[in-house]
Amino acid sequence: MARRLKVANPARCIGCYSCMMACARTWYDTISLKNSRIDIQTRGGIETPYTQIVCHACIDPPCMRACPLGALTKRKGGGVNLNKEICDGCGNCIEACLMGAIHLDAEKKAVICKHCGVCPKFCPHDVLEMIEVEDSGEVKITDTGPAPETSPVSSTASHKDLYGGKELGEEK
Amino acid sequence: MTTEQYAIEGLKNILYIDLTNQSYYVEERRDLYEKYLGGVGVAINLMLEEYKEGTGPFDPEMPVILSTGPLSGVYPTCTKAVALFRSPHNGELGESYAGGHLAMSMRYSGYETVVIKGVSQYPVYVAIHDDKVTFRDASSIWHLSSAIDVGKILREIEPGAGRRSIIRIGPAGEKGITYADVNVDTYRHFGRLGLGAVFGAKKLKAVLISGNRELKSPEHNAYRKTVSMLYDTIVKTGLTEKYHNLGTSENILVLNELKGLPTRNLQAAYFEGAETISGELFAEKYLLRRVSCAGCPIGCIHVAMLKRAFSKAHEYEALNISYDFELIYALGSNLGVADPEAVLELIDACEKAGVDIISMGVVLAWATEMQQRGKISTNETMGLELSWGNKAAYLRAIDLVVKAPNEFYSALGKGVEYASQKYGGEDFAIRLGGLEIPGYHTGLGNVLGLSVGARHSHLDSAGYSADQKAFNQPISDEQIVDYIIDEEERRNILNCMVSCLFARNVYTYENVILALKAIGIDRTEEELKELGKDIFRKKYELKRKFGFKFEDLKIPKRFFETPSTTGKIDEERVERAIELYRKKRGV
Repeated sequence: MARRLKVANPARCIGCYSCMMACARTWYDTISLKNSRIDIQTRGGIETPYTQIVCHACIDPPCMRACPLGALTKRKGGGVNLNKEICDGCGNCIEACLMGAIHLDAEKKAVICKHCGVCPKFCPHDVLEMIEVEDSGEVKITDTGPAPETSPVSSTASHKDLYGGKELGEEK
Repeated sequence: MTTEQYAIEGLKNILYIDLTNQSYYVEERRDLYEKYLGGVGVAINLMLEEYKEGTGPFDPEMPVILSTGPLSGVYPTCTKAVALFRSPHNGELGESYAGGHLAMSMRYSGYETVVIKGVSQYPVYVAIHDDKVTFRDASSIWHLSSAIDVGKILREIEPGAGRRSIIRIGPAGEKGITYADVNVDTYRHFGRLGLGAVFGAKKLKAVLISGNRELKSPEHNAYRKTVSMLYDTIVKTGLTEKYHNLGTSENILVLNELKGLPTRNLQAAYFEGAETISGELFAEKYLLRRVSCAGCPIGCIHVAMLKRAFSKAHEYEALNISYDFELIYALGSNLGVADPEAVLELIDACEKAGVDIISMGVVLAWATEMQQRGKISTNETMGLELSWGNKAAYLRAIDLVVKAPNEFYSALGKGVEYASQKYGGEDFAIRLGGLEIPGYHTGLGNVLGLSVGARHSHLDSAGYSADQKAFNQPISDEQIVDYIIDEEERRNILNCMVSCLFARNVYTYENVILALKAIGIDRTEEELKELGKDIFRKKYELKRKFGFKFEDLKIPKRFFETPSTTGKIDEERVERAIELYRKKRGV
């Protein structure tokens, strides 16, 4: 079953950058915010909500069409696969993506999300999710049964109930 | 350990900035990073190198040292930067920590440590973008009424959004209020001991640092594994739950139940209005969102939304204000303010002014008691009648302290020790080592910790925690002394990393060793402990140079009059404990 990344609950983002660190750590073997395929941005410092820039796994990806060398091919589940060997860093794909989800790394190769699913594992607030989609990238609509409760469901939101126990506070 | 083995990149540069000549240079000091790791370890050694006998807090040669450590920007919750300076507030060791985006920006800029010296002829701000340093005339943003707005303006002018930190002062720093703070990315601060006034004296309005370098661990797989383990410990166990959930303000009700919450200038340690200024109430009625320091999945920064009507025609303004336990104590219980919206408004006023809220709260509490006792009158206050819970009077007083229109307010701007020496009321000027006290009146451990602590802060050793242990089951005074000594050393080590102390139970010795190892730094527990002791000794060496003497330590009577969590505190008992501490410490 094909899967893709989705920004499910953008307003829950606390700006911890754990997802970006995880992406760079996994795919570039670096400790950085650079070369993360997902980008958490501020718009007005931390006084205003964070913005999550991620690849939207387009069904008909404009970045692929914009690539003059054919380095980008359709990915099962939407979005693209990059053939790094072919990419020459022309940047046309960057222009084509209105989301701003693509950039170049130090070697002038495109940095594009693979929808691998690492970043949601490091999101403490369920901002990011992996969802199942058709191979074409279309979102699957299935019979879900009764509508689920919408009260807090995050496994991290109920820490206190899970772990309980009051301790005298420690410091600020 | 040799330089070759010190494998993770970085941890070699010190950036020296000279404001007098608007120049800078970089020195390689691997020796310091290798021996002292970073953070307070590196900073304290640099301060000893830089300090020239007799240099005052505001003298040009007196440096401000900012430093991060090996774990900064590398592991979750290692989000703090330390600032070392000579405090203009008590003349002693100025040591303060701040989160926000500063540590990560510094680490990724390649300058883990920055030393700022000199005095500019006119207001400036310094922008550091990776390895580029620029000085810009800040005259047009000097005199802005709000420290928050400085960030708004610089964000527009400078690049690096999301990868930078903007630290800046407000009017209090410009005016030399000795407890002016440095605002870090709006919601965090170098709060205590007056770094803001030092910035002001240097005519330094702001420092912006952005960094976007990549680091590589020599042991990448070990590094990945260690990050995952630490992340899970932080996010999926209860160890940091308190900060994640209600935040530090959870302590309002806890301490109140324990009769340890300073109230009305510590005339009591129980506040009858605690319910309405509790963390629970703030969360339910005002909490808008929580945010994080860069690299921390806890998200302990609690931002409240205060919606205020400004006309009868349903016109509203909305203010976003971050709150914490100490702020609610200082501007709530200790001023007899039980109205949560009043607490938020008072916090907001202090944030704009750019002052340490703990000190401001204690100063106002002292002034209120002085006026009630008839020791000062409306002559001194310029007509203002201070009374417990009187928000309007306190809002005006904050403004007047910063503007210092007469001798009295000017004295208030120098802290409660100075003001009480001038106007009397020293017995109820609740400070230790010249620093206004945080929100604990728990017993011997607290008073001892604040007295002997290198910076007289609850963060030196968390003496109140020792009191909690004593409250639950009797322990000897010697055990309390030992607790404080152990805690001081442990914190010295964490402050080299630099981890947030909220995660101190995540970063156990075992985990610190593991985390260091996964980035190529080998340390044993014994070596770390020796480092903690070494830093302690150096802090006291500096304190001595700055003129600190135990003999001068004054403990106001108020501490012994008002019953604490663990009962009335006996003066002689405190003296004996301090003696014991000194003997064990050799200071």
